[in-house]
Formats: sequence, structure tokens, C-alpha cells
Amino acid sequence: MSTERPTQSDRELWRSLVTDRPATGLVSDLDFAAWLEGRLSEADAARIEAAVATNPEMRRAALELSEVLSMPLPAPPERLEVRAKALVGFEVERRAPRVGFFDWLFAKDRRFALPRLATLTAAVIVAISGFMLGGGLGESMAQERYTTTQSDTSNDLTEFLVSDGI
Amino acid sequence: MAELNQIDLRTLLTGNKRAWDGFVTAAAPLINTVVRRTLASYRLSEEDVMDAAQDVFVRLCANDYRLLKTYDPARAGLSTWLAVVSRSAAVDHARRRRQATTPLDDVPEANLGVEDRHVEKLKIPQGLLTDRQMLVLKCLYDEEKDVSEVAQLLKIDAQTVRSTHHKALLRLRAHFQEEPQ
Repeated sequence: MSTERPTQSDRELWRSLVTDRPATGLVSDLDFAAWLEGRLSEADAARIEAAVATNPEMRRAALELSEVLSMPLPAPPERLEVRAKALVGFEVERRAPRVGFFDWLFAKDRRFALPRLATLTAAVIVAISGFMLGGGLGESMAQERYTTTQSDTSNDLTEFLVSDGI
Repeated sequence: MAELNQIDLRTLLTGNKRAWDGFVTAAAPLINTVVRRTLASYRLSEEDVMDAAQDVFVRLCANDYRLLKTYDPARAGLSTWLAVVSRSAAVDHARRRRQATTPLDDVPEANLGVEDRHVEKLKIPQGLLTDRQMLVLKCLYDEEKDVSEVAQLLKIDAQTVRSTHHKALLRLRAHFQEEPQ
């Protein structure tokens, strides 16, 4: 029975043989992955095995991936994750419609409800205080009427002086 | 790895930022390992390795996730498919880097030389060995893997690898003793 490593005579026999064969058809990534997981039917697996036996690059890929997929993986550099995450973040931000202050303030969803409520309350308080300091609606109207009256009197006097030739 | 296979692909493919971030966190260890492993023999700088890993993520989300949309969970696990895709991308990256950066004069002459050793070799007739026998022999002799590694690759037990190897050699010996060339 053969041992874990082939014997020297077996190796010599193999070296004396031409083992290259024309490459078989292309294998898709999904088929290759399914074969690595042992999910393919016998006929489909045979097709991939023929391709892997023929193609040294595929053979190396199969052996390496089979090893990587069965071992615990080390943590990647943080930089890799940060850069990869930014790929989609920026894309989404570019596509997102611009949201103005009032759209944000009166938005119907519940996100940021507390800051929005606080902003709205502050705005109302500022408006009321300003109004009160200005003397309220009644005083403001009285002031306006006084200004208008003054302006009318002044116009009458000017007209009188002008008509008298002064 | 289990985490990666639990990713909600439908949400991810809608462009959801949170789904993408979750996917990156789950996939980065695998992509990083596969890319490093693949590029180990190319002697590239750390920056190149990082770029190659980043390139895998770029490929996955480019053109509205076109590559990621080709993945079919019914046919293979996401981690296995991702490993295959990462390796292909890393090899492409290394080839591009080498083409762009290594002038022919810098390659050692020994690497360019063709072995001038005339050895008469015998051709294995088509059909003498099955594809699996051929693959087992190639892995054992050409790739110098041991029985347990080949068993792991083919998802069979080590005893089956030994018996496949044994039967293949019996066939070869029988054929070439009967028909010396």
C-alpha cells in the first residue's frame, strides 16, 4: 500500500510520462466553488476535475483555496475595512437627494425626532420673545398709524407753503 | 465564516450602506487571507497587497453590484465563491503590476531560460486513467501535496486517495510493461 508520500520508483515512473493534455473547457467561478464544496453531481465534478488536472494554475488555486477555507482566518488590517466600506458610502451619498433645513425639520419619519422638536420649540420661543419685545401687535399697529399720520401732515404743510409761493 | 454566509444579499444588492458595511466586516478576513496567500509568490509590497484586496471589493460593488449579482446561493456557499473570485482578482492584479513594473532586463536569466534537457517521455494514452486518477497523481507528484491535502481538496477520505493513487499506478505500470515505447 502506498504511504503518505509517493515512493521514489512511483515518482520516477511519473516523471517518465508526458502528462500534459489539451486544456478542457472554461470553468466558471460558481462551478469551481461548487466543486470545491463537493456540491456537484458526479458528471459535473468529473468535468471540473479534468480541467483541474489539465491546468496547473487551476490546480494550485484549488489546493490553496481548499486550505484557506478550512483554516481560521486572521483579522485583516483595519485600513482595508475602512477603505472598502467607503466604496459604497460615497456612492449612496452622491445619489441621495439634497435635503434642506425645512425638509429635515418637518420630515414625517421619526428619525432625529428629539433634536427636531427642540429646534422647533427654540424657534417658536425666539419668535414670541421678539414679538413681545417689539410691544405686541397693538403697539406695532399704533406706531404704524402714527407714522402714517405724521407723514400726511407733513405733506399738507408742504403743499400749503408751495401754494403760497414760499 | 458562518457570519459571511448569513449576509442578507437581497438588502445588500439594493445598495444599502449598512448591509455593505456588514458584508465588508464579514468578508474582509477571507478576502485579505486569500489575496495575501495568492500574492505571496509575487513578492509585492504591502501597499500592492492592500490595493489588490481593495480591488476585490471594487469589483464586487462596481456597476451596481454586477459581479455580486452573478452569485447563486443555491450552487455554492458565499465564502467559497468569494474566495474563488478573490483569487482570480489577485492574480489579475499581480499580472498587471508585473507587466507594468518589471522590465525584461530585470528578470534573472535563469527564469527566462528553457531547460535544455532532452528526456524521452512516454505519452499516457487517452482514457487509460480517469480524470480523478490523473488529478490525484498530479497533486501528489507535480504539486508535491500529501495524501491528506488531496483528500481535503477532493472531499474524500485519505484511504480513497491512497487507493486511487495505487490503482492509477497499477494501470500505468501494466500498460507500459506490456507496451514499451
